[in-house]
Amino acid sequence: MRRSVVLAFALLALSHVSVHAQTLPFDMTPDRPADSPVSNTPAVTVPADGAGAGDTPATGVTDTQADPSATAAEPFHRFILPNGNLGLTGEFDDRTWSVYLTPQQAAIGSKLNIGYQNSIFVAPEVSRLSLEVNNARMADEPVRSPDSVSDLSFDIPKGLLKPGANLIRLRANQRHRTDCTVQSTYELWSNIDAQRTYLSFADNSAQALQSSDDIRAIGVDENGLTRFNFIVPALEQPGATIPLMRLSQGLALLANMPNQAFSFETQGLPAPKAGEMTVLVGTPAEIQPLLSTVPLGAASAPVAGFVTDPNTGSPILVLSGPTWQAIQTAIESIVASTDVDVTTRRELLATQNWRSPDAPFLFADTRLSFAQLGLKTEQFSGRRFRTNFTVGIPSDFYADAYGTALILLDAAYSEAVLPGSHVDIYVNGSIASTVPITSSGGGILRHLPINVTMRHFRPGVNTIAIEALIETEDDKVCAPGATGVETPRFALFDTSEFHMPDFARIGQLPNLAALSGTGFPYNRSQEAIPLSIDRVDADTLSAAATVLGRMAVGAGHPIPVETIASPALIGNRSAIFIGSLSQMPQMVFTRMNIAETARNTWGPDPGDEPEGVDTEATFDEWRQKLRGGIWSGQISSFEDWVKRNFDISLSSLRFAPTTESSFTPSNEASLLIAQGASPDGTGTWSVVAAPSGRDLREGVEAVSTLANWSQLAGHITTYRRGTKTVETVPVNAFNFMPTQPASVSNYRLIAANWLSTNILSYAMLLSALGVLLGLATAALLTNLGRRK
Amino acid sequence: MRKAGIILFWGITSLCLLALVSLPINLQTQLIASITVVTFMAVIKILRAEGIWRLTALAFGTAIVMRYVYWRTTSTLPPLNQLENFIPGFLLYLAEMYSVTMLALSLFVVAMPLPPRPSRAASEGKYPSVDVFVPTYNEDEALLANTLAAAKAMDYPADKLTVWLLDDGGTVQKRNSANLLEDQGAKARHQDLQVLCHELGVNYLTRERNEHAKAGNLNNGMAHSQGELLAIFDADHAPARDFLLETVGYFEDDPKLFLVQTPHFFLNPDPVERNLRTFERMPSENEMFYGIIQRGLDKWNASFFCGSAAVLRRKALEQTGGFSGVSITEDCETAIDLHASGWNSVYVDRPLIAGLQPATFASFIGQRSRWAQGMMQILRFKFPPLKRGLSIPQRLCYTSSTLFWLFPFPRTIFLFAPLCYLFFDLEIFTASGGEFLGYTLAYMLVNLMMQNYLYGSFRWPWISELYEYVQTIHLLPAVVSAILNPRKPSFKVTAKDESVLVSRLSEISRPFFVIFAVLLLALVVTVYRVYTVPYTADVTLVVGGWNLLNLILAGCALGVVSERGEYSATRRVKVTRRCEFGLDDQWYPATIDDVSANGARVNVFAKNLASLPVDTRGMIRFKTHGGDTEEILPVAVRNTSVAGDIITIGCLYLPEVARHHSLVADLIFANSQQWTQFQLSRRGNPGLFRGTIWFFGLAFYQTTRGLLYFFSNPAARDKARRLAEAKK
Repeated sequence: MRRSVVLAFALLALSHVSVHAQTLPFDMTPDRPADSPVSNTPAVTVPADGAGAGDTPATGVTDTQADPSATAAEPFHRFILPNGNLGLTGEFDDRTWSVYLTPQQAAIGSKLNIGYQNSIFVAPEVSRLSLEVNNARMADEPVRSPDSVSDLSFDIPKGLLKPGANLIRLRANQRHRTDCTVQSTYELWSNIDAQRTYLSFADNSAQALQSSDDIRAIGVDENGLTRFNFIVPALEQPGATIPLMRLSQGLALLANMPNQAFSFETQGLPAPKAGEMTVLVGTPAEIQPLLSTVPLGAASAPVAGFVTDPNTGSPILVLSGPTWQAIQTAIESIVASTDVDVTTRRELLATQNWRSPDAPFLFADTRLSFAQLGLKTEQFSGRRFRTNFTVGIPSDFYADAYGTALILLDAAYSEAVLPGSHVDIYVNGSIASTVPITSSGGGILRHLPINVTMRHFRPGVNTIAIEALIETEDDKVCAPGATGVETPRFALFDTSEFHMPDFARIGQLPNLAALSGTGFPYNRSQEAIPLSIDRVDADTLSAAATVLGRMAVGAGHPIPVETIASPALIGNRSAIFIGSLSQMPQMVFTRMNIAETARNTWGPDPGDEPEGVDTEATFDEWRQKLRGGIWSGQISSFEDWVKRNFDISLSSLRFAPTTESSFTPSNEASLLIAQGASPDGTGTWSVVAAPSGRDLREGVEAVSTLANWSQLAGHITTYRRGTKTVETVPVNAFNFMPTQPASVSNYRLIAANWLSTNILSYAMLLSALGVLLGLATAALLTNLGRRK
Repeated sequence: MRKAGIILFWGITSLCLLALVSLPINLQTQLIASITVVTFMAVIKILRAEGIWRLTALAFGTAIVMRYVYWRTTSTLPPLNQLENFIPGFLLYLAEMYSVTMLALSLFVVAMPLPPRPSRAASEGKYPSVDVFVPTYNEDEALLANTLAAAKAMDYPADKLTVWLLDDGGTVQKRNSANLLEDQGAKARHQDLQVLCHELGVNYLTRERNEHAKAGNLNNGMAHSQGELLAIFDADHAPARDFLLETVGYFEDDPKLFLVQTPHFFLNPDPVERNLRTFERMPSENEMFYGIIQRGLDKWNASFFCGSAAVLRRKALEQTGGFSGVSITEDCETAIDLHASGWNSVYVDRPLIAGLQPATFASFIGQRSRWAQGMMQILRFKFPPLKRGLSIPQRLCYTSSTLFWLFPFPRTIFLFAPLCYLFFDLEIFTASGGEFLGYTLAYMLVNLMMQNYLYGSFRWPWISELYEYVQTIHLLPAVVSAILNPRKPSFKVTAKDESVLVSRLSEISRPFFVIFAVLLLALVVTVYRVYTVPYTADVTLVVGGWNLLNLILAGCALGVVSERGEYSATRRVKVTRRCEFGLDDQWYPATIDDVSANGARVNVFAKNLASLPVDTRGMIRFKTHGGDTEEILPVAVRNTSVAGDIITIGCLYLPEVARHHSLVADLIFANSQQWTQFQLSRRGNPGLFRGTIWFFGLAFYQTTRGLLYFFSNPAARDKARRLAEAKK
């Protein structure tokens, strides 16, 4: 293993030189400036001590309202918003992420452009939009573009950008023009336009990629998407699938962008596009028709490296070799660096390409200060302050029913703040706690403990938001100009702490949330996972690569897979099934509780989704309508009250998990992801299925975006193409999968969570033990002491 | 072996329950579990299931209490860095943990009290010699005469029975006091009592110096007597005729027996009962102790000496050097020493003496202060949990008995804790409304239900709280001083012969009105805050509700300290006994309706008698218990009322010779059966719900009465009314 990696790097180095040597003669791109040869590194003066970089104020700001029509003519640029358009909402918003630059890009990056439009309610004179690059303040501009998208352009001081990750921070401080209510703060937004927010470079040489590290600089398109276009002429050759899956996982891990997709074609080089990378895989003979100049040596040894497409001038990642064995070696040279020991515990979940800092991965009792979590001490003069941080939770998290984390809040509020103001904590968008401010006259909260229910925690990255809603007498009066007053009312200190206690840890099967979070349970597998693909074609492989890439990113390392001749050979091992539902083996239907009839009835998709009647909603509507009855009305309003106040409903009163009912995907759904146990319960089977190959490819691409993938949950998740929404079927019955060494404290917490879910069991157990203790005490007392 | 197996089984079951209740389950689960348990307990209670079911219900309650303790410990304490919240919060926590500890201890003591023992009459012909000690200090002669006469009249072979009056009011030290008044009083007392004793055939004994108070007095008595057994009666505790017959037999059964204790039965109400008018209807405060707790202690061979109404073995006392006098509760102290040296005790659950208890609130508090201080001394000097020689159950029992007297601390904390929030906005108990419902309310309900289960027919709901509250105000300083200076408290004899003739506020009532006013203000603040600070209304309502409960108790206490005037100085005892009433040498058939220590009410059948003038001399002729001859007791008529042929005459005894005292004693004390019947007549469990409603009604009435007394100076009004009546 080790020897082959060394070999691969040697080969890469070798091929690297030869590739460029080979490509130059064929370079006939007309729009490529002749004076910037790829191999030439432009001379860049970097301040020796680096001090100049941080201190240099951004002076050369140009603010043009007009659309920069010269985009096409401009030199190479990179979009920098990781998720497409970015909304900065409310009175205070703050985003930090990093953009990976190649050494070349870092050296010649010259300008940063931001296009934005804001809500008409934002008062320009008191609202600021600021930008930091690598912690250097680049700009602090008034927010004044309500009518159309306007551009802010900043020159980047030389030497500020560096090879590798560069931190970008956008902050908006916005105030309403006239309104002082908390409600009005929801009308405040600035929309950063992804298309017009980019880093531009002095010349096109920045486009070139050289080392395998430069794969990380793939970037995004204007919608925040990232795509690897694989051109594999021999795609359908049986031996190619596994190396390709490994390659796509490796690339996914290297790039680690929020919304990555893989597509496989057998021919035709796609046109170069921002956020896309063409990957050419094949023997020299196979790629000869596509690339006029096959890298030298590919005929005799494995080759992996970038070549420049002579037609477009864009880089193409080429993996070649005399045989597929050799190609596999070439693939290893890139992927091997992403391999880690399965048992190694990750300290962080890498999120910085869309959210910085990386989320600390919490496995047990941990205390982290807000400073460690990337929050800064903030003073705030508005009415609604919101900020957030992320933490990573392992896939065997099993504390959603009983657990509470703790925030030890360090904060202060001024004497102007009225009682009735409150601080709310949200976990993944759901409210988890509210702390009212009860005293007037200002106050300092020192490590005020706030219990944060773990109910909404899920495996993977979790976002915890802190929102302070502040009421003052001034806001009630709301004199003109009151919104712009800058006297701080609230301060949040970065000495506050987040305290995660020890929590119950045991794997649950099925649990798609764990699959989405960390690729569980496949992330723990030392052996290759059987990958069952019914048809080896471009659509299916694209879908498989996208899913596996996503799982690899969650797991933090490539997941080894193997093809199998027939599903029957899987036995009881864990496996992944990808394909159209109609082709799935019958076992899959029974293990996942999917109705066998769906094999024939699901799809074709009716296309435009008809506005069907939602049975549940209609039923609720009728129930609302018929609330007149005296008794039933009383009872149901009591039920509602109990539900509202104590979160207890009749359905939550249960002794034990109920069995799963059979599931039939609706025709509006275009993709289905399901999980179930293998026949003897020891392995985990996951299914990604769609009615057709095309649905599969598109569905997987849609679901594997950051926003959708993190919604995966339950034992079945479906995606509706029409509404672009993800729906989940919650888990009822599940198996435990021990992940931790046996310990009483862990079992105790597991029992607490199980009993907190199966409420009546606890009551019953308590009653049973009560009776038993009564009997034991009676026996004891009649045998001890005096009796007559 | 079997015993070990049962203990093991019990241990394992308890551990399982402990593991289950210490799981950090969520609030929903807790709520459902609480509802289940409360329902289960209620059903068991409604069905009046006993035996195993009773213990099961207690086990259920224990589970909820333990869950509360777990939750209270792990999630409700204020953060340590907020000292202003943490300190009161932690005090409150300690107070609650004290209550839980006491609940646990009392569960242990009374989980399965011994059923009342069947009568164990002394075997014929095997009567051990008995010395009866009646220690006295300042009680008056008439009271002593009744007691001594009753003691002398006990059914027991005369040659085996010696009655001793141990007079500490006439010691040489007193008779030679520098204080002239004291000196003269002591000399007269010495003289009079000697005459009385001579007439009654009782030995009079006094000593040189008043050393070691009552314990010293008793030891002096021991030094001058030889009887195998000692029976101790307080000066105001007169025994029934069968007292010795019912008690001495046990000494024959067990050579290691040192004590047979019997309950103290009181003929008069304590001030709380008198002022609340509950004496006839509600079980007395001490019935819980004598009816349940002593029986529970008896199960663990830990029932202790209560100073009076008990028989002790001389040999045992001599072994430990007589009565101990380190503390001011020599009785309990003596018992703990004897238990520790391997002697046994027995409790006979049948009232065999009748006595008096303090009539005024001030002397009631004085008595309780002595008990509390004495128990603190025992806790300090004997430290029952680690006392060598005691069995583990005995240690727990004595710990329970002594720790009980720390109640003024938690009571005070419970009283003022809500004020921390209402007045100063301190958050000393961090919990949400839902948690309060799921944990605290469940705990309180279960706690009340358990109390009702354990003591139901002996203690009505909220009465314990009332008694503790009314004592707390004055007991707290007493307990604190006993803790700080455990050697300082000295023995003070409780006055029991006072009476309240005119309605008035107790001389120590002021703090009660102050506290009531503060709590009332807190109620106003509660209402104000609910309306002005609506976002914390849930917490305010919870805390305000707690304060309201305190206010209700404090209001009821206003009634307790408003002393009602009473016409008859002593309580009347219902007796129905045939007699003849003699008037001017003519004898009419009559029945004695009720008697008191001073007089009797007689129904006379006479056709030609009209109402009699006050102070007419009369006579009652009746047969004494166990006697064959009729004897005559002279009386004076106080009032008469005629209803047809029956004239009801209220009359005052005019005892002229010692024998007359014996007759009075015979009327009142001879028949112990009637006391048992009286106790049974007011015993009954109203249930938690009915009891609570009754108590709230009582509290409301007593609050208004207390306030009326406060604002209208009832003493003056009372006097005016008396004057008006006198004029008529």
